Amino acid sequence: MSARRNLWANRLRSDFRAALGMLAVLACVPFFVTSPYSLGIVIVSMYFAMLAMGWNLLAGFTGQFSLAPAAFAMLGAYTTGLLNYHWQAPLALGLPAAVLGMALVGWALGRLILRLRGPYLSLTTLSFAEIARVVISNSHEFTRGDQGLNVPTLMQSRVGYYYLFLAVLAFTLVGLYLLMRSKVGRFWLAIRDDSIGAETRGIDVVRYKTLAFGLSCAICGFAGALYGTFSQLVSPELGLLLQTGLVISMVVIGGIGTLTGPLLGALLVYLSSEWLREIGGIQLIVFSALVIVFARFFRTGLWGLVTSWRSRLKTTPDVAKESS
Amino acid sequence: MLALDLLVNGLIFGLFYALMAVGLAMIFGVLKVVNFAHGEFYMVGAYAYVLVSLKLGVSPWIALPVAAAAGAALGWLVERTLMRPLYSGYASWSIMKDEYAVVVTFGLSLLLINLVDKIVGPYPVRGPDLIETSRFAIGPIMLNGQKLIAAGISLAILTGLAWFIKKSLWGRQIQAVAQNRLGASLAGIDATRTTSMIFAIAGLLAALSGALLAPVINPSPDVGAFPAIKSYVIVVLGGMGSIWGAMIAALFLGVFEAFFAVYVSYAYRDAFGLLLLILVLIFRPQGLFGEKGREV
Repeated sequence: MSARRNLWANRLRSDFRAALGMLAVLACVPFFVTSPYSLGIVIVSMYFAMLAMGWNLLAGFTGQFSLAPAAFAMLGAYTTGLLNYHWQAPLALGLPAAVLGMALVGWALGRLILRLRGPYLSLTTLSFAEIARVVISNSHEFTRGDQGLNVPTLMQSRVGYYYLFLAVLAFTLVGLYLLMRSKVGRFWLAIRDDSIGAETRGIDVVRYKTLAFGLSCAICGFAGALYGTFSQLVSPELGLLLQTGLVISMVVIGGIGTLTGPLLGALLVYLSSEWLREIGGIQLIVFSALVIVFARFFRTGLWGLVTSWRSRLKTTPDVAKESS
Repeated sequence: MLALDLLVNGLIFGLFYALMAVGLAMIFGVLKVVNFAHGEFYMVGAYAYVLVSLKLGVSPWIALPVAAAAGAALGWLVERTLMRPLYSGYASWSIMKDEYAVVVTFGLSLLLINLVDKIVGPYPVRGPDLIETSRFAIGPIMLNGQKLIAAGISLAILTGLAWFIKKSLWGRQIQAVAQNRLGASLAGIDATRTTSMIFAIAGLLAALSGALLAPVINPSPDVGAFPAIKSYVIVVLGGMGSIWGAMIAALFLGVFEAFFAVYVSYAYRDAFGLLLLILVLIFRPQGLFGEKGREV
């Protein structure tokens, strides 16, 4: 029994169910919370959950620690915004363009830095992120620089936006689950754990690494574009390194390399940051300290703590002793 | 005459960059990780200098070594608490040590920025000058007195460091551990203590660089971001982990930026440095001056 529970597929399934449960809870929230301000906060936290899932696909599942998720979101948002600003493209065209464009950018970037890993990959993506931000905030004629761009909105209703974000989140989650359950997911994990070993077993490492890059980039870009239509303003601030730091802290606190972790982390971190802000603006101190503590002592994050605690309850005492 | 002016000013900034980047290169050389909190060592040094000299009212010449000591203590503490898992068999991140280092140092950078932001305040603070004379001319070149004296101190420190690493016993231990950790410990070198020392030196240099520039830059909590990014560029240009490469690349970048800002574009100066970083990593990962290729 214990052996079966430890199978990757079973773990993934319970992980997926927990994530779906969280989305179900989120779906009920508008019945109890009606103030547009509170709903807005949850919407922003769902935006961060998308970024966290996109980054986790790259870092947690494929082992490529990019430092550019916020920059991808910014570029996605600008794709939609610029198409609308210069060529009056409707959102029905602008949003898919953001997804496709960012998938291409991610694929190209992944292709370019294919052989880099670890600190080299982080440095390159960090540079890419900063270049993108500097270029956008300095090309005043084309992007209006730091003033930002106004973007039309999809709808006026807050509740409507809430369910739109929730639907997109659910779609991403299901898509990721199906991918991780298929051989693609196992290839990714194999590449993460031992890319040379994976290559010797006949896995096309180039193809699957660039696929992960493109997908992650598309998820982040779509999240950014959607957020741009929600806030009706796109500015280079979306791509600040601080935002990337927030995304990373969400994933590490929630549990890297899982489906529930990024979701849990994003909701917990963003919602409690609103609360900590009222106490006196200490939210970023708390989260950055938590990231260090979690990375140092609880690598599996909150979700890992929950699962190990659950499996300890179910196993016999001597097995529990062994695993601790 | 503009060109000569730019050359001298570029070299002066190159010296400050070198002070930052050498520490980063030493850390990379010995642990093969990038310290993403390096800019915050610089920021802590600048703040220590300003606060000690203003709040305690002591002479800037005392505040300077205090700031350097604060940086050294911070570097040592970071190594003791956060870097040990990288080499002392820490099971759960064992296959992803590089990634652990990225997350932890990135988190540390955020933590330090926000701690200072909360405790001291988000507004820039201005430090006292080391000397009274603000501007004077040597021949046709106008120089800022504070910058010149800071550059002199940097040059002295860098020369001392070069001697220390090349000749002294501890410096040779650092070289040995950077070349081969296991081999060094088999030869009786305390690799753990050497790693702590490297972090302390790196912290000291970065903090000193921040303190020396504090009267010029008016530090605010996020002041470390730009020098940190420059140090990444320098370390990559000079060949990751190469101390001499970092020194040369720092001077090169200082001069290059001075000319680029005037003749090409000021706004895109930093973006161009980063583009250089990406290109070097992709096409010449051993760096412009690197003598041997490192695994990438």
